Amino acid sequence: MMNKTSMIAIALLIFMGFYPLFVDSAWLAVGTTFLVFSVVAFSQDIILGRAGVFHMGHAMFFGLGAYTTAILNVQFGWPILATWAPSVLVPMFFAFILAGPIIHLRGDYLLVATIGFNIIFIQILENDIFGLTGGPNGIFGIDIVRVFGIEFASGTYMYYMAFILLGIALFIMRNLDRSKFGRAMFYINKDEIAAQSMGISIRYYKLYAFVVGAGIAGAAGSMFSVQYSAVSPEAFNVTQSIMFFTIVLVGGSASLPGVLIGTFIMFVLPEVFREFATARYLVFGLAMILTMILRPRGIWPVRFGNIPSYLKKDVK
Amino acid sequence: MSEYILEIKNVSKFFHGLVAINNLSMKVKKGQIYGIIGPNGAGKTTLFNCITGIYTPEEGQILWKGKEIKGTTPYKIAELGILRTFQTIRLFAEMSVAENIMSGRHIKSKQKWYNGIIHTPAYFKDEKENWLKVGELMEFFSLSEYATTPAGDLSYGIQRRIEMARALAAEPELLILDEPAAGLNENETIELTKMIRKIQAMGVTIMMIEHDMEMVMSLSEYITVINFGAKISAGIPSFVQDDPVVIEAYIGSDEEDDHA
Ligand SMILES: Nc1ncnc2c1ncn2[C@@H]1O[C@H](COP(=O)(O)OP(=O)(O)O)[C@@H](O)[C@H]1O
Ligand SMILES: [Mg+2]
Repeated sequence: MMNKTSMIAIALLIFMGFYPLFVDSAWLAVGTTFLVFSVVAFSQDIILGRAGVFHMGHAMFFGLGAYTTAILNVQFGWPILATWAPSVLVPMFFAFILAGPIIHLRGDYLLVATIGFNIIFIQILENDIFGLTGGPNGIFGIDIVRVFGIEFASGTYMYYMAFILLGIALFIMRNLDRSKFGRAMFYINKDEIAAQSMGISIRYYKLYAFVVGAGIAGAAGSMFSVQYSAVSPEAFNVTQSIMFFTIVLVGGSASLPGVLIGTFIMFVLPEVFREFATARYLVFGLAMILTMILRPRGIWPVRFGNIPSYLKKDVK
Repeated sequence: MSEYILEIKNVSKFFHGLVAINNLSMKVKKGQIYGIIGPNGAGKTTLFNCITGIYTPEEGQILWKGKEIKGTTPYKIAELGILRTFQTIRLFAEMSVAENIMSGRHIKSKQKWYNGIIHTPAYFKDEKENWLKVGELMEFFSLSEYATTPAGDLSYGIQRRIEMARALAAEPELLILDEPAAGLNENETIELTKMIRKIQAMGVTIMMIEHDMEMVMSLSEYITVINFGAKISAGIPSFVQDDPVVIEAYIGSDEEDDHA
């Protein structure tokens, strides 16, 4: 038996799978970036939507992944493939040491602290502190992915790599939701006192969310740097963090379809209306305001109650 | 080890200089039902919050199986086997009944840190065991038909049952119930009384704050009466019931409770 949601999901999967066959290179790039941004949005959703942590510095972890790949490849000559693991591990490491001291802060205070981290990160990039980040211009000439002499150079390859990355991200989200870890995040999000009284360590699970979220964002960052063969600070500033934060709330916290819709509205729609120049941001701002007023839980809110079928036998 | 599983020794708790618990002592025996009564605002809930680590008392000792637990964080208290319900119901309202009860399985689940990302055969076994346990508890508390219903959509009486099921899911040694009969109708109270007896029969020690005198007197083996944060009487139900000090305290106070 298949429900409506799975049918929509499969239709979408088929559409996304064949998308490169129908579009020109500009729209192919939009598609690829949509996939990459979706992955970042999902990773933001682990921290914000699931653990309920008001984290508004997520572009920093995305940027840490991107710069890790860029620096290792351009400055140290590592092949792109070899930079993948570090581009995941470096953001995870920073998430662990940076989130540690602020994780106990109340929502609004934590939000300000995470913005602070993001601003410092941009300052470090722009001032080229270790002579590695290329300053305000960033780093150019990032290589393509090569495996055994095969060059994954075309935009179509890039698209399918991002497609696979999104698949991996969705796989992880699904596993998370069905584990003790994902559930603990929800319990903390809904009621910290009750969660603690059931034996759940708030600190452990919020940090867990941060570290996993940062790792996934880092992988997306690596992909992003290869797609544009360049990185620069403004792609990872607070404005970008606000976008990822907004995507989750507009789409629907902790809702997989919601986050995809959010990414589509916040990123793809502005591209569609590109000829309206900056006026398109008016629509965009209005959409954010209206969603929060009319659908405060997001356009496609999360639904709970996904329990094993053998427990549903008595449900009337 | 002494026969007492929990010992509270000369505990005092202040809020902004005002005394909420005043030099309180009590001892709970393993396996018994221990009642705590007293007028509203007497400090009963505060005492439970001190035991479960929500508050740290300024003075005194709280001994769990002879070991000091004062100041231990709430999640570690739960890991020790002390689980509670709340006077003001604290369920995860948007989540289903089954998911709410599953939170009680948290400390019993053996999933490893990487199981949040990748599932292993051990994960599947653990996950299934825990859900089956949730199923058993839903049967026990007659909640099976609401398995997928959001807890917040259900009536007060059912929500109280979910809270007990959730606490029991953690297989506690000590179950702390804060006014479990508050807001229940007569039939529900009778059902609850039976349920509490069954839980005791499983070997669980129970501490209970309750305003329903009939219920607390019939269930409790021993009762401590608190007024203005201090113990005013203690003993078996029949003694406490007739103690003039207790009668005085109840007449002197607003006996109607707001169940806040
Ligand atoms: N967090 C708190 N801050 C300040 N005062 C509190 C707090 N919690 C409880 N109190 C006060 O402590 C006293 C005891 O309250 P409580 O333990 O809830 O009483 P009971 O459960 O016996 O009705 C009351 O006067 C209450 O106002
Ligand atoms: Mg109370």
